[in-house]
Amino acid sequence: MAEDLNWAVGGEAGDGIDSTGKIFAQALARAGRHVFTSKDFASRIRGGYTAYKIRTSVEEVQSVVDRLDILVALTQRTIDENLDELHEGSAIIYDGERSWEAEIPDEMTAVDVPLKSLAEDAGGAIMRNIVALGAACEITDFDVEYLDEALEKRFGGKGSQIVENNKEAARLGQEYVAENYDLEHLGYSVETTDNDYVLLNGNEAIGMGAIAAGCRFYAGYPITPATSIMEYLTGRIEDYGGHVVQAEDELSAINMALGGARAGARSMTATSGAGIDLMTETFGLVATSETPLVIADVQRSGPSTGMPTKQEQGDLNMALYGGHGEVPRFVITPTSITECFWKTVEAFNLAEKYQTPVFLVSDLAMSVTEQTFPPEAFDMDDVEIDRGKLVDDDEVDEWLDAQGHFRAHAVTDDGVSPRAIPGTVDGAHMSTGLEHDELGRRTEDQDERVQQVDKRYRKVETAQEEEDWDYREFGDEDADNLIISWGSNEGALVEALDYLEDDGIDVRVISVPYIFPRPDLSEEIEAADDVIVVECNATGQFADLIEHDVLTRVKRINKYTGVRFKADELAEQITEQLSAEVPAQ
Amino acid sequence: MSSDVRFTDFKSDKQPTWCPGCGDFGTMNGMMKALAETGNDPDNTFVVAGIGCSGKIGTYMHSYALHGVHGRALPVATGVKMARPDIEVMAAGGDGDGYSIGAGHFVHAVRRNVDMSYVVMDNRIYGLTKGQASPTSRSDFETSTTPEGPKQPPVNPLALALASGASFIAQSFASDALRHQEIIQEAIEHDGFGFVNVFSPCVTFNDVDTYDYFRDNLVDLQDEGHDPNDYEAAKEVILDSDKEYQGVMYQDENSVPYHEKHGVTEDMSEIPDGAPEDAMDLVREFY
Ligand SMILES: Cc1ncc(C[n+]2csc(CCOP(=O)(O)OP(=O)(O)O)c2C)c(N)n1
Ligand code: SF4
Repeated sequence: MAEDLNWAVGGEAGDGIDSTGKIFAQALARAGRHVFTSKDFASRIRGGYTAYKIRTSVEEVQSVVDRLDILVALTQRTIDENLDELHEGSAIIYDGERSWEAEIPDEMTAVDVPLKSLAEDAGGAIMRNIVALGAACEITDFDVEYLDEALEKRFGGKGSQIVENNKEAARLGQEYVAENYDLEHLGYSVETTDNDYVLLNGNEAIGMGAIAAGCRFYAGYPITPATSIMEYLTGRIEDYGGHVVQAEDELSAINMALGGARAGARSMTATSGAGIDLMTETFGLVATSETPLVIADVQRSGPSTGMPTKQEQGDLNMALYGGHGEVPRFVITPTSITECFWKTVEAFNLAEKYQTPVFLVSDLAMSVTEQTFPPEAFDMDDVEIDRGKLVDDDEVDEWLDAQGHFRAHAVTDDGVSPRAIPGTVDGAHMSTGLEHDELGRRTEDQDERVQQVDKRYRKVETAQEEEDWDYREFGDEDADNLIISWGSNEGALVEALDYLEDDGIDVRVISVPYIFPRPDLSEEIEAADDVIVVECNATGQFADLIEHDVLTRVKRINKYTGVRFKADELAEQITEQLSAEVPAQ
Repeated sequence: MSSDVRFTDFKSDKQPTWCPGCGDFGTMNGMMKALAETGNDPDNTFVVAGIGCSGKIGTYMHSYALHGVHGRALPVATGVKMARPDIEVMAAGGDGDGYSIGAGHFVHAVRRNVDMSYVVMDNRIYGLTKGQASPTSRSDFETSTTPEGPKQPPVNPLALALASGASFIAQSFASDALRHQEIIQEAIEHDGFGFVNVFSPCVTFNDVDTYDYFRDNLVDLQDEGHDPNDYEAAKEVILDSDKEYQGVMYQDENSVPYHEKHGVTEDMSEIPDGAPEDAMDLVREFY
């Protein structure tokens, strides 16, 4: 493992913690370093502890670790909250002129910088965070010019004076530390490379994937942590001829998106927690009316309002089974930020190919984590669009019955019917949540009912055969120990492999981006001695599915504290589980 | 196709299962005639219906259509119009559908001023669930769930619309065929949200708000010389609970529909074969 640097800024919500962290992360990315960020935040706007943490290395970083080297502490609580992660060589930047007397453990290096007054010298107290960033550059021997670039990007829109003031604030912070402290002994030096990386989070990747995939209509209702998908799309989707509507509630949001989809636009909605409950009402309608719709659920801690700003992977059962009656749908679970992009593209294709709801189930950890990638990870030339059986004026004829009616729900071998959108001549038809015949007209006829139910499930069978419901794999393919995971745990697992390797433990990691349909893992499971399923929920919803599929018991690692898995912690738990008994049948 | 479209082109060959004499027959005929008369054809029309006897209307008409879940017709219709500003969109449903379970959507669809027409078949009862009180039922109207009447004032949908900033508010009577059709036509032609509350009697469960009752009590605003552009006059008739009116109560001459205000003009169903040409710019933003 290359030298990591672990950095954090913490204070009260409202202190600008997030933007401070983001600016530093961008500076590091511009310097060609890999960055992985994490956020601690409380569900309130002002007050309440907030922190933005950065792990950075010249090698790829995909997880958080329990270690902090440099901490910018705007409050005493920031120090208290992070004591576990601070170590002898940690440096803590704080403002001794401010009202609080920092209690910094003796073995650590206290770097007292008059953040506020230096910021005032540069043009305004508001820039005290930027002064701290300048100070951090000095401690880590990091070229402040990268910070300048990030400041230009951040404040460029606000005019050159603001940019200059911020640069000056950073300089003052840097100079103050250089003049008053000799920190060479800490030994921090941040290596840079020529690489150009982009820095983005999972929600931004979903939004970008949506635009790339031709999504033009988005309707949503704000809820943490899904809102930033809507915020990303607002202001960008218009450039591509699209539009975002902030609906009055989630019931409206999903129905609007449904309307957009029926009108022929690639449409999407996203929500979380309580919002997905409300949307459940319309799941069945989307499926029975055979409407292509992408519904993203960025999971957070539940049930009820739960812990809105905390991580969980507890909605799997909801995504699979939500809604009354039996509702065919696909459930896709991106396993990384790049996968958030690619699986969103895939979700739109699957939705249109099979005219069915596609649930894109992401989670809070991924949605707020910013990570660096080479831009080619999002190569737009690789985006393919498949609109399925969308018929035009000339193709409609094939699908008319003897009376000239369009058979929008025609019973076909593959279960997929032709789709005509408004404006298609002779394609006019009715669709309904009621059981219906091939023309979309209500029916209670037993044969027709069975035909339509079978047809809708046949789409899933067809997709099961035609699409690749594969998995991602890491570690040692021949290892006896098999770890299975879904969603955002992948990064931490990949890094846990390094720790396990150091201890001489070989494992094979399978990271599953598809929950329904999902890859058949029976061979892999049979070949392994120990099988452990890792997920951020209390009951092991995915483990239950695996046991159901292979009719054997598996071991489980479950975390439901509200905090994502860390690599070192996972390695420890895996080691523990490997020597534990398999639960009784 | 538009020039030779007849109203029967909007008729499906499915026989309505409404009770003989139900007001919804007249309401639907007026809607189909109005659509044809305003130059629309089934291939360029989208009808979104609610749930209830009234909501079945979409099943009996021929056009692109969706019959969704209870109370959510307006959001669906909004989505259709956003994606396809080129398409004629009409939403239809009952008083329970629109003013009870869908009341929140009603308020917001009105204030959004999406360019569509919304026809509510107001029979002052829940028909499909066999005769319970609806939000427009009179406070002393006895039903299976309100044996002594709801004991609460009915919703005044026109006032609700006015308070929500409506740009077009009208009321019609299903059995006054010509006036009803005219009023629906005006709603269709209005640039914005054309709201029409239609008295559409339920002959099975409501023996108070009957054809005879409306015939005897209906006042036509046209005969009264009412000026729909006069907001104060509109307020007066809308808040007048002593009389039953038909006609266009209010129309904002300066109404600008949502899609125009928000610059939504493109047919969103057309997308490139791959990512948009300049899509790499989206990635570069993250440098
Ligand atoms: C979520 C939901 N709740 C309840 C129902 C049952 N339901 C069907 S129609 C209806 C009321 C319809 O009343 P109204 O809108 O006045 O229409 P009408 O039948 O009188 O035309 C109800 C409550 C339903 N279909 N969905
Ligand atoms: S019950 Fe009433 S509303 Fe329903 S069809 Fe019969 S008359 Fe019409």
